[in-house]
Amino acid sequence: MDHECARLLPAVCAVLADPRQPVADDTCLEKLLDWFKTVTEAESSLLLLQENPCLVELLSHVPNLQDVSSGVLSFSLRLAGIFAAQEDCFQYLQQVELLPGLFGAAGPLGQAVWAIPTVRSGWIQGLRSLAQHPSALCFLADHGAVDTIFSLQGDASLFVASAAGQLLVHILALSMEGRAEGHTCPQGGDWPMCAQKIVGHIEESLCSTDTPRVTQALNVLTTTFGRCQSLWTEVLWEQLSPLVARLLERDPVPAPHPLMDLLLCVARSPVLSSLDRGPWETAAQALSCLGPTQAGALALGVLKLQLCPQALRTQAFGVLLQPLACVLKATAQAPGLPGLLDGTSEDPAVVDALLSSKSSCAGLLCRTLAHLEELQPLPQRPSPWPQAPLLRAAVTILCLCDGSAAPSSSVGGRLCGTLAGCVRVQRAALDFLGTLSQGTGPQEQVTQVFAILLECLERPDSSPTVLKKAFQATLRWLLSSAGTPSCSGLGPRAALFLPELFPVLQKRLCNPCWEVRDSALEFLTHLSRHWGGQADFRHLLLQSEVPELTRQLLQDPESYVRASAVTAMGELSSRGLHGTLTNPEHPEAQQSLLPEFLHILSADSEGFPRRAVMQVFTEWLRGGHADVARDTERFVATVLQVVSQDLDWEVRAQGLELALVFLGQMLGQPGPHCPYTVALPKAVPASPLAEALGALCRVRLFEFAFRALFDCDRPVAQKSCDLLLFLRDKTTPYSSLWEAGGSPDSASVEAALQRWQAGEQGQPLGDLEPEAMLAALRSIDLEGLRGTLAQGSDHVEKSPQSLLRDMLATVGVLQENQADCY
Amino acid sequence: MPEIRVTPLGAGQDVGRSCILVSIAGKNVMLDCGMHMGFSDDRRFPDFSYITQSGRLTDFLDCVIISHFHLDHCGALPYFSEMVGYDGPIYMTHPTQAICPILLEDYRKIAVDKKGEANFFTSQMIKDCMKKVVAVHLHQTVQVDDELEIKAYYAGHVLGAAMFQIKVGSESVVYTGDYNMTPDRHLGAAWIDKCRPNLLITESTYATTIRDSKRCRERDFLKKVHETVERGGKVLIPVFALGRAQELCILLETFWERMNLKVPIYFSTGLTEKANHYYKLFITWTNQKIRKTFVQRNMFEFKHIKAFDRAFADNPGPMVVFATPGMLHAGQSLQIFRKWAGNEKNMVIMPGYCVQGTVGHKILSGQRKLEMEGRQVLEVKMQVEYMSFSAHADAKGIMQLVGQAEPESVLLVHGEAKKMEFLKQKIEQEFRVDCYMPANGETVVLPTSPSIPGGISLGLLKREMAQGLLPEAKRPRLLHGTLIMKDSNFRLVSSEQALKELGLAEHQLRFTCRVHLHDTRKEQETAMRVYSHLKSILKDHCVQHLPDGSVTVESILIQAAAPSEDPATKVLLVSWTYQDEELGSYLTSLLKKGLPQAPS
Repeated sequence: MDHECARLLPAVCAVLADPRQPVADDTCLEKLLDWFKTVTEAESSLLLLQENPCLVELLSHVPNLQDVSSGVLSFSLRLAGIFAAQEDCFQYLQQVELLPGLFGAAGPLGQAVWAIPTVRSGWIQGLRSLAQHPSALCFLADHGAVDTIFSLQGDASLFVASAAGQLLVHILALSMEGRAEGHTCPQGGDWPMCAQKIVGHIEESLCSTDTPRVTQALNVLTTTFGRCQSLWTEVLWEQLSPLVARLLERDPVPAPHPLMDLLLCVARSPVLSSLDRGPWETAAQALSCLGPTQAGALALGVLKLQLCPQALRTQAFGVLLQPLACVLKATAQAPGLPGLLDGTSEDPAVVDALLSSKSSCAGLLCRTLAHLEELQPLPQRPSPWPQAPLLRAAVTILCLCDGSAAPSSSVGGRLCGTLAGCVRVQRAALDFLGTLSQGTGPQEQVTQVFAILLECLERPDSSPTVLKKAFQATLRWLLSSAGTPSCSGLGPRAALFLPELFPVLQKRLCNPCWEVRDSALEFLTHLSRHWGGQADFRHLLLQSEVPELTRQLLQDPESYVRASAVTAMGELSSRGLHGTLTNPEHPEAQQSLLPEFLHILSADSEGFPRRAVMQVFTEWLRGGHADVARDTERFVATVLQVVSQDLDWEVRAQGLELALVFLGQMLGQPGPHCPYTVALPKAVPASPLAEALGALCRVRLFEFAFRALFDCDRPVAQKSCDLLLFLRDKTTPYSSLWEAGGSPDSASVEAALQRWQAGEQGQPLGDLEPEAMLAALRSIDLEGLRGTLAQGSDHVEKSPQSLLRDMLATVGVLQENQADCY
Repeated sequence: MPEIRVTPLGAGQDVGRSCILVSIAGKNVMLDCGMHMGFSDDRRFPDFSYITQSGRLTDFLDCVIISHFHLDHCGALPYFSEMVGYDGPIYMTHPTQAICPILLEDYRKIAVDKKGEANFFTSQMIKDCMKKVVAVHLHQTVQVDDELEIKAYYAGHVLGAAMFQIKVGSESVVYTGDYNMTPDRHLGAAWIDKCRPNLLITESTYATTIRDSKRCRERDFLKKVHETVERGGKVLIPVFALGRAQELCILLETFWERMNLKVPIYFSTGLTEKANHYYKLFITWTNQKIRKTFVQRNMFEFKHIKAFDRAFADNPGPMVVFATPGMLHAGQSLQIFRKWAGNEKNMVIMPGYCVQGTVGHKILSGQRKLEMEGRQVLEVKMQVEYMSFSAHADAKGIMQLVGQAEPESVLLVHGEAKKMEFLKQKIEQEFRVDCYMPANGETVVLPTSPSIPGGISLGLLKREMAQGLLPEAKRPRLLHGTLIMKDSNFRLVSSEQALKELGLAEHQLRFTCRVHLHDTRKEQETAMRVYSHLKSILKDHCVQHLPDGSVTVESILIQAAAPSEDPATKVLLVSWTYQDEELGSYLTSLLKKGLPQAPS
């Protein structure tokens, strides 16, 4: 702890110990604890307490106060725990008899304040910090703390209850620590008293008919097995697994979700999964007891495991597929097609869940689709993967949702009624359908996929969120159907589909919802990025009105859409696709977008379109776009000039990115961005360097970067600093050639730098020679500046001195200020 | 047992990040998704891991509702939807949908700029999040699904702020968000109809305050600004981009006009145009006066307030500048503050709350020597004033709203525990309803008695009608029938139909009773006497004397028997079905009185 903090601390402690002085801000105490944690990690807590007696005074004083605020009491409990985590400090606190007053029966535990959740939470957190050594265990035992923790497991506050469970796990692990190191692990009966007590409590809870108690026990076990991999956990599982299995014999099964979590946790544990009494049998039992309506998460978890008996995997996959199998069966058109799980009987609970109500049907299908979506890309997914029936199921569900399905059975008919217009299921099915694009399917089925996607995109009543998912799924199918990236053509299916897609895309670009226009533009951008070079795609796109409509969206009232239109047009333009083509042989005949983009950059009132323009410009400069290459210097000069006035720091930062690309083209590529990389700068030969520096002066890059160096927004200044460092390194080997220190020019540059540093705007520098610029560049302590900027501009706010001062300053200030909010 | 469960993850006994979970009739709704401005780590967002211990968020939550665009109510939204993974619908009003992304973007920029945070939500995430939003109109009933519906009511506070009614069947909860029960210069007062929800969840920021007159506060503010510019000083008013700033702008604009002042007023970073745009777009959300005068003059097209340029801060002479952000923790407001702080002629007016660590907080707590970057010390000589213009209902307003909505119970959030305690007692005393104030993480469980719709068979209705009992709209009627549950539906049908539909056989239940009579005659004669007696009394009923000697009246059977031990006494065995219970009891009491003397 530094001197200043040590000086302020007694006053702060005095304020905290005075109930008449409310703590100004609810975050102060939290931040103070953060600070004490950092301090005690670095130095001895005992020393800290001895050097700052005010702390012990505070901790002994607070629990005895009459009107103490719950916040300060909770803080004191947590603080005492932090100090007592170090054993010598714990002993010291015991000597001064401070801990029982905080954590024992004489403390808040027996007082009215115990009813306040913050106090209970502070008590638990304090003990959690304290319980780090054997002495702490004795303390817990002596004061009956474990019993209190048991009761807090069922606390009305979720936070307290959860923390109590975590603390039990921690105490169990602590009391068993060291015991597992021996070759043989003692049986449960030889365990330390504390551990036996906790295990006994868990056993009792597992046998309880009260579901919350069962849940608590299962959660404690899951955390224990997840956290501890020692041998004693084997004994624990051996002892408790029969009780866990017995839960599955109850009807209904209590706490199914925590039970599944526990089984998965045990199955994942390398120690436990190899035991004779491993989790497999219980997991199989759970899958059949809970059935597809409840056991989806367990089935998915089982299938994700690397090592698991094949029979269980088959059972789990069956559970996952059941709901879709029912849907397929209920809607089967042609009897010859293979379904899912043919030959097995339908689970009546699944049919019941699908038919009983709209929300249960939607819930079951959404969960199933999400689970299968998660499973599909995994290497350990079941093989053979039933791609064709799954595709059919996804398409069928989408047909049921949009009302185009023709069910062949009464169950199908009812499903039709239930799912019609169900956006939730539609979204889940589209996500799943998109994932299925990673696999192959019979041609006929892929045609069906495209047909249903087109249907979704075409339907006038599709919701914007459904349309977004439909665009995403379509993109995935289009890209996968084209085959490998090196494939020269679009692929036959895409070639057939695209002519139908463009009219739909046109319609969506004119949709009244901005969300839809934006999703359509994002789709177009991705499509062009992948296929902009394909002749067939180019032809189809240029024949459509899509480019023209996209251009019109540059004037959209919604800024998000304008930004997406800029990105899309930038992409199209890079590939010569940005206007309706009268003569396909001469793409350059298309009207340039540069003036329009410059106008957006200088006039658009929103940041997003301006940022999008800067991204496009940077890409254009990097890729040598024709409009830029015609007169690169003029382009860069214009852009930098416009950007330097921008109010959005991200636009200014992107201006520096563009400047960096330009510099790279002039002087050679900059090295890796990491500022700590040690690399010798590759110098540029003197004469091209002179030329390059001349160009940099002409585009006024120096002035732009110097101004940015003192920008009030830190990222801009940081970026500029990196850019100037790069420039300086490139020119250093030739510094003797550029000695111009003391010239009138360099003096004016330095004067301007001082003005900018002081936050003034000042006049532009005008045309100056590179020598003056380089001299100014050398005169700035860029390394020092970079160090300052790296600290962040709010380091003062975060410092403990600032916190302590703030806490003291607030004393006596009118309370009205606190009550107010935003 | 049907119940409503409410768990605040934020705003439970504090004014921080509002986030309240409500379960109503099996539907789960999250009310607001705010962030805490005072933290810059995980603690700034609610701990969403408590929403569901297992399973996906999207499967568990039916929807998220955002009451208004302030960051303590919507700041965690992109994190929740794009990083935590909620993929379901988000509801808010149209103005909130328009303004929310601007504030989120500002916040993101400050987090990235000032704190250099890399693992933060991006612009693209904000956009993707906003695409999940379903915008609602005031008083429009929106069906989230077949069972859950929501409805927005005007809340005042800021443009687009709304209270929401969440309804499933006959159960409902109203969440107020932040609201103001008194109109101000640009917004109207909150209003809700007598919707009698099971629960009203209300903010309680000013739970114990009766705010002084708004006019006084305004006069005070104007006086301070005027005095400062009169003596040639500059006034800095740090504000958040949109919201209360517009109220202050209208106030100053009107004052400048009235006093014919020429001192320039500036508003930073092009926000005047942006604000103007949104207020024009959502003019229906402003108060009556602004709407009325809109055709002649748009109140948000300010004559005296001009866009600010960074260079203006160095201009000599007096001026008033509105600059963002409102806590003087970054950007333009801080930059201007640093320039002007050293001059005692200048003044800074803080119109809202500032979190610890910000320059705003420091100067409000009276610190006059501030350590800035690079260990420079900034001496604050300018005057520092705090004037709250936040628009929350005071204690009186909260009571007024409770009276207006007539809830069955009230739950307080967004306030300090001690003040809530006071208001809780007041509400319980005055309205005789339960009032709760859970801390964060605490669950309040309210049992409800939902009404379950049931059908009635036409046959049963016709039978009732045939008895001449025509239904009356205002008088409840008792109807006897059999309630059957089939295909998750309840129906009231006649017992015959119930038996038929359920394929059940009928069992008869008969009540029996013994009546002792003093009669020395033979059983047959006694039976005959009973017959004659009843025949003479019950003229409207069918009384029969059967060949076996027993007497029947409708379904009631009477038999006479002679106990062996006392030949002078006869026992009448009376039995009847439950349908004729009334008549059976009557007959029994009649017979107990004895038979009339037979003519000898």
